[in-house]
Amino acid sequence: MDKRKGYFLIIPAIIIMCIFTLYPLIEGIRVSFTDKSMLRAKYSYIGIDNYKQMLGDPIFWLSLWHSLILTGVVVILQLIFGLILAWTMKQKIPGMPIYKSIIMASWVIPVAATVTIFKFMAQSDVGFINIILKSIGLKSLVRYWFGDPLTAFPLIILLHLWRNVPFYGIAFLAAMQTIPASFYESAEIDGANAFQRFWYITLPGIRNMIIVMVTIHVLWTFNNFDFIYLATGGGPVNSTDVLPVYVYRQSWDSYAAGYGASIGTVMLLILSIYLIIYLLIQERGEYKR
Amino acid sequence: MKGLRLNTRQIKIRDGIVAYIIIFISLCFFILPMIWIFYCSFRTQESIFTGKIIASLKGFTFNNYIKILSVTDFPRYFVNSVKISSLVTILSLIISIFGAYGLSRYDIKGKKIVILGIFSTQMFPQVLLLIPLFLVVFSLNLMNSILGIVLTQLILVLPFCLWMLEGYFDTIPIDLDDAAKIDGSNLIQQLIYVILPIAAPGTMVVAFYSFVVSWSDYLIVSVISQSQNTATLTLIMRRLSSSLLIRWGQVCAVATLTIVPTLIIFAFVQKKLIEGLTAGALKE
Repeated sequence: MDKRKGYFLIIPAIIIMCIFTLYPLIEGIRVSFTDKSMLRAKYSYIGIDNYKQMLGDPIFWLSLWHSLILTGVVVILQLIFGLILAWTMKQKIPGMPIYKSIIMASWVIPVAATVTIFKFMAQSDVGFINIILKSIGLKSLVRYWFGDPLTAFPLIILLHLWRNVPFYGIAFLAAMQTIPASFYESAEIDGANAFQRFWYITLPGIRNMIIVMVTIHVLWTFNNFDFIYLATGGGPVNSTDVLPVYVYRQSWDSYAAGYGASIGTVMLLILSIYLIIYLLIQERGEYKR
Repeated sequence: MKGLRLNTRQIKIRDGIVAYIIIFISLCFFILPMIWIFYCSFRTQESIFTGKIIASLKGFTFNNYIKILSVTDFPRYFVNSVKISSLVTILSLIISIFGAYGLSRYDIKGKKIVILGIFSTQMFPQVLLLIPLFLVVFSLNLMNSILGIVLTQLILVLPFCLWMLEGYFDTIPIDLDDAAKIDGSNLIQQLIYVILPIAAPGTMVVAFYSFVVSWSDYLIVSVISQSQNTATLTLIMRRLSSSLLIRWGQVCAVATLTIVPTLIIFAFVQKKLIEGLTAGALKE
């Protein structure tokens, strides 16, 4: 009797997840083997033709490359700057509580607003970045920063850092605070320098948190759609095209749902491989201990 | 010994100075952009186009806000956003409180698989789900409706909410439930009078998370919303900032009014939210 009550409680959540996630996932993979278009209701199975087409599609390869580079660079930089920020927030200096309470603001606001802010700041005539550049005599650098194939991609990386680095900092700080102060004291008595203390005490102490943050953000960055779609739409000249944006454009702008779904399936495959490797490494680490 | 002490003090001062430099740079980077658009939302188009940072007094105005509130469809989009986000918050609270309570208190078969399954959905590329989701919403006859958007957005928040609340409920002693049961209260009464007051911080975190994720969503709304009746702030922001002649003052005002609600709510739950977000990783 009691057990049945438990099922009864969890069922609404399961129903929602099945209808709006599990079924769409299976359906999405199925559609990837068809020539479905958003314009007509009829479609037929075409085997792995979509995947064959993908192999010869230069934009697909470019997007894949961009996605991997973006995810790798963004997560590594976030990790480094997050550690620096956590170290900073660990210092007991006046003003720190206020700093801590405002620094996460960029993480909370909608991505669409972030993009709007930076689009405005990057404008060639009225943008803040260019006003500063002009005033310090670097007029030659003035441009619409999202409109230049050279600078659009780095700017996208910057947007990711802007949003997530404070969260990394706060999370690492929380982990650092669980390391007993006595560890550092005894290391100091043993004559360990700052780097050694960081390497042998801090890093192992926040290892778990680093793993969790990296895993979450690899998934988040690789799947993220709105930053690039809203900022550049993948342009200029495909210089910021990534897989999620390419899938969206294929399915909703070119109406090629089947082809879009096949690229989405490849994304899922890549993430699954990442997670399997991660779990294997995790398990081996446990085993060693 | 004395020499060593002086040394650590010197290090402390050095670290303090380095920290202040980092604080200064990071504030410029993370906070200045927000201050800049807030500031520009009070400037006239002409003032913005002078390309100067400090504007003359004449360049300040409330017109941007007055315009977007009276002339454009902004109020309508704002109301849509509030409606959708509130509904997502309420529904996700109800579903995840019951669900998490079920997971936490009852011996459910395959509990681990359910939790793992729900959590792994976070990994699925949303753009892949979107095509079939569109068809699901279409066949449920919920296209271009608030309810369609709300139900779809639930999948963005439910996994985190369930996980977060389950962790919270697990820390509440089951004796309390039993005591309430002996007093003759039913399940709903148990939840409302016993469990929820203790789990209030966790519930607040879940509510905040649901509201903000829904408020920020662009992807799902862009596909399911097809008219002004359901469009949200994130949609209008894109439209405004990609039109031909951009009224930047008004864009800044829209952005400000979109950002401010999230910041206000965040200010209330910040501490608990960070505790909640980091607790899972620290437990092990």
